[in-house]
Amino acid sequence: MKAAPFDYIEAGSADEAVFLLGEAGTDAAVLAGGQTLMPLLALRMATPTVLVDINPADDMAGIARTGEGVRIGARTRQAAALRDPIVARHLPVLGEALSHVGHYQTRARGTVGGSIALGEPAAEQPAVAVALGASIELRSSRGTRQVPAREFYLGPYATTRADDEVVIAIHFPEWPASSHIVFHEVARRRGDFALVGLVMLLDVRDARVERAGIAWFGMGPTPVAATTAEQALTGAAIADIDPRELAHLALAEVEPSEDLHASAHYRRTVAARIFERRFRTLAGGITA
Amino acid sequence: MSLHFIEFELNGRQIEGTAEARRTLLDFLRGDAGCTGPHAGCEHGVCGACTVLVDGQAVRSCLMLAVQANGKKVETVEGLASGPDELHPVQQLFREEFALQCGFCTPGFLMTLVALDRAEPRPDAAEMREALSGHLCRCTGYQGVLRVVDRLAEDRK
Amino acid sequence: MNEHPVATGARFIGKRIQRKEDRRLLTGRGTYIDDVVVAGMLHAAFVRSNVARGQILRIDTTRARELAGVFAVYTAADLDRVACRPGNPVFDMPGCPPPDNGLLARTDARFVGDPVAIILATTRAIAEDAAALVEVDYRAEAPVIGIAAAKTMPPIHPHVTSNLVNAMDSGPDDEIDAIFATAAHVVEDTIRNCRQAHMPMETRGMVAVPDGTGELTIHAACQSPHLSALHIATAFNLNQQQVRIVGKDVGGGFGLKMSPQRDDLAVIAAAMLAGRPVKWIEDRLENLIAAGQSREDQMHVRLAFDSDHLLIAADVDYDCDFGAYPYAMQSSASLVTPMFPGPYRVPRYRWKAAGWYTNASGIVPYRGPWMMEMFARETMMDVAARQMGVDPIELRRKNIIGKPDQPFQTAAGFVLTDISPRETMDMTVAAIDVPAFRREQAQAREQGRYLGLGLANGIEPTTVSFGYFASDVAHVRIEANGRVTAMTTTFSQGHGTATSLAQVIAERLGVPFEDVTVVEGDSSRTGFGSGAGGSRQAVAGGGAAIKASDLLREKIERIAAYAYNASPDTVRIDNGVITIDGAPEVRSSVAEIAQMAYVAPDRLPPDMEMGLESQYRYRPPPMVMANATHACICEVDVETGKVSILRWVAGGDCGELINPSIVEGQIAGGVVQGIGGVLFEHLRYDEDGQPLAVTLKDYLLPTGLDVPRIEYRHMCTPSSTPGGFKGVGEGGAMISPPTLVNAIADALAPFGKRWLDMPLSPDRIVCGLDG
Repeated sequence: MKAAPFDYIEAGSADEAVFLLGEAGTDAAVLAGGQTLMPLLALRMATPTVLVDINPADDMAGIARTGEGVRIGARTRQAAALRDPIVARHLPVLGEALSHVGHYQTRARGTVGGSIALGEPAAEQPAVAVALGASIELRSSRGTRQVPAREFYLGPYATTRADDEVVIAIHFPEWPASSHIVFHEVARRRGDFALVGLVMLLDVRDARVERAGIAWFGMGPTPVAATTAEQALTGAAIADIDPRELAHLALAEVEPSEDLHASAHYRRTVAARIFERRFRTLAGGITA
Repeated sequence: MSLHFIEFELNGRQIEGTAEARRTLLDFLRGDAGCTGPHAGCEHGVCGACTVLVDGQAVRSCLMLAVQANGKKVETVEGLASGPDELHPVQQLFREEFALQCGFCTPGFLMTLVALDRAEPRPDAAEMREALSGHLCRCTGYQGVLRVVDRLAEDRK
Repeated sequence: MNEHPVATGARFIGKRIQRKEDRRLLTGRGTYIDDVVVAGMLHAAFVRSNVARGQILRIDTTRARELAGVFAVYTAADLDRVACRPGNPVFDMPGCPPPDNGLLARTDARFVGDPVAIILATTRAIAEDAAALVEVDYRAEAPVIGIAAAKTMPPIHPHVTSNLVNAMDSGPDDEIDAIFATAAHVVEDTIRNCRQAHMPMETRGMVAVPDGTGELTIHAACQSPHLSALHIATAFNLNQQQVRIVGKDVGGGFGLKMSPQRDDLAVIAAAMLAGRPVKWIEDRLENLIAAGQSREDQMHVRLAFDSDHLLIAADVDYDCDFGAYPYAMQSSASLVTPMFPGPYRVPRYRWKAAGWYTNASGIVPYRGPWMMEMFARETMMDVAARQMGVDPIELRRKNIIGKPDQPFQTAAGFVLTDISPRETMDMTVAAIDVPAFRREQAQAREQGRYLGLGLANGIEPTTVSFGYFASDVAHVRIEANGRVTAMTTTFSQGHGTATSLAQVIAERLGVPFEDVTVVEGDSSRTGFGSGAGGSRQAVAGGGAAIKASDLLREKIERIAAYAYNASPDTVRIDNGVITIDGAPEVRSSVAEIAQMAYVAPDRLPPDMEMGLESQYRYRPPPMVMANATHACICEVDVETGKVSILRWVAGGDCGELINPSIVEGQIAGGVVQGIGGVLFEHLRYDEDGQPLAVTLKDYLLPTGLDVPRIEYRHMCTPSSTPGGFKGVGEGGAMISPPTLVNAIADALAPFGKRWLDMPLSPDRIVCGLDG
């Protein structure tokens, strides 16, 4: 199980990464933490001719507060984000999600940007980005653009990133510290991709939902925003919401498929149960 | 395909060599650096048998290119004990608790536990068990390894 | 259990002595197959079929041959220049001709992973590059996937008339139908296991070194150097002495490395053709699609009980999916149906068994390959208990054999002796406070939590001694310095035989444990024997070691007696020190006696042969029985279908324990493999014959977070062998699946469903509860 031949170039900075990727042509790939790409190379499921390694690009790592929220450099290690006080304070749902990402050993190298850029549909971080309404900062020699996470994912491992674009950072909008969060993942074993995954944020004031962000993972070809349920929640009084009905609405957008580990029926059934139970508990805490 | 000259510190000694871009750190350690302690159990980052420390962090050496180790500090199971007749305390616990049978996966478990053992703040038993879920063992049913974790956690109290 | 003392004193058998192997293995100084480097060696990679069944229309190796670093690309036609009979001289089933497709697929591919060409190159990476350049065109045909398809579809091999490999039955028995017709209770269902893999953490591999004179040295990840040498010598028509198999450390076997498979032999043939050493290290992808697989079998069971819930008859029908190239007998010719009555009185028994070819990777025996007897019987005992409204433990107690009942002849003709099924079950049940658990279970159910208790009984037939497995030899030598070297036919893939046998030898000789070195793993250094397989090393290897040691001890006693003018029966040997009863002034040592034996013939008794070495070829009984009762408590999350195991009690009787920690390690490893088989592991094929679990991301092994802490309870009923030992290697893997399935079924009993189709994945449980 050895990778097909490729050339390797180090990028010492974000600008260098953008330049090198632009030069390298369409068969190039960005190597970040490598925890997903390296197995694909070993299995020859990915056969790029050039790898542009952004690990030396220290300017692509780091977590900082901005006016609108939190900016996480794409090359920030998952382990670093998991320990980061800004994440703990301002993005607790990402912190919770990160503890489910892979294993201790893969989080040491794996990056936040790498996972979000690749778009594995059963992965945790893309779903967090979708639920929170994050945007993805892409840069090429043609310029920089920010793409909302909700528009970024097209299918399994398929995104709107152009071949010459480098994911530079993820911008997470800040939700009020009082927001209620739910992160729930059902996996066969610790560290496995989700059979069913749910990320939910509710900004609740006076027992009324100001804003809702809900996303599923492992429930379709991409992370899926539950926009119908979000709309139903927005402006509604918690006490008026029927959890079962809301769970039904929350599944309006998902079309889970069957794989080796679970049927579509399983995914829908368990997703509905989890959503209903977690919402009921959350609502009970608010209205109590 | 590009060829790369690399230098790094391996178990306290500086080494150098040449690696094709695609050569993994695991293959370089085993084939070029004479460290056959890390093992190729799956070569796709799941089994954990190839785990080594890079700049003190436990990582899968099959998921790193050799060229990426350039300038880094790498530790393998061969570097744990202080001498040829010695055992590192974690190795000693493995022996006392019969935490290995065939021993193929063992170097990986040891490297993760050594990283955890050095970590500050020190992880508790549950955190150590969680970290060890990144290692597969087919012989022992993990019973001895779990006892090692108990004792490591106990030692820290 | 907290103490693990280092060896002290003269008693070694029964002690938790730290393993001799571990210092090496813990410091990265093991020598596994990929650590072996031979000057000038080439690296092999295979081109493997990506269709499950299809004619090979064209193979074009041109581009691969032209790649820099490629030494050779061989197809079936090339390997035909090396005469090879790929049958299995150790395990071939009578009346079952081996599949005739050669070492590489010649005319057609018969499973995804079927080797079509072999590349030799200067590195494995280049060999894989070349493999990607070989073009093969297939005319794909509808594959035979699963037992039902095998029964109706055309045969997968052209030389056979149907997919039936072999079929056996117990013969006509009209009376049994009458018994079932009039029985107070008849319980009937089919249990289906799912295809699983042995999955040693080290894959298969070898370095084949032809020396140019027709001799072969093969460094191999194998279970038995001698059986591998025999197999390879037979395949290539060599004398066995021309084939030397060497192995040092092997990263697990579990049956997979028992016999060379077609791709192993293809590597050897390629090395012979090339005249170069060749290394092949199977990668995990190959391992998951083309190495031996197991457990895809099913049993239809009918049990008849009288009105007192006594078993009065059993009737079973067993089918096994053999895949395309099965190695070694697995079903009808093995122990599945004969062992089905287990530890119970079953007055009338009828059985049928059949094995079937399919377009899947071939069956290779996996730790307890006949486990379906235990799996089906014990799960059906619980089904019966629920159906009849009786307690499953009480139902077993009514029907089980105890020590006073032995010897007991089973309905299948085995004689049960030296086992303790009833007593071991009572011991295990006592470890679980069943009434307290039932109260807890009832309370939990009121809160919507589902706890279950499962229990299973089993008899493990160990050290089954037949054919090439009939005997083992130990050659024990006390060197002139008093140190002991033992050449044995055992071989460890993690078993710790270098420790266990040293304990046995040190105790029998009366020398320090540290002074004993066990040598194994080289067919040119040790006598013929079958190595690891069939849970036999403690009994057969241990028996040979005892007998050889006793011969030596007697010789030491005679030499000492002669030297010190005493009677041999007054000589005492303890910790290497020799004393004479009634002569306190004498204090000699084994080293001193050894000196005499090698260099001072005048001090030996007249006519005594010089030297201090012995050899004994031990023939164990045809079968040594061990028995076990395991119990577990689990919780099933009915929301997600996930199962948590809360408690596991492993009660067993494997006679005298040589090293309890090693014994418990064997039990634990097997138990967790069985847990994996119930909850996680499944090599599923789709209808096109494509394997769906081709990485360890999809073939799920239990991790340390998925396993219970196992509580061991030992009962000791010695066997009638020299040390009183019994085998223990496979029982855990056989008994844990029914134990866990029974616990899950007990937890979910209020829902009234059946849980007999493996794996009991979250999906299966949620969909089963909904259905």
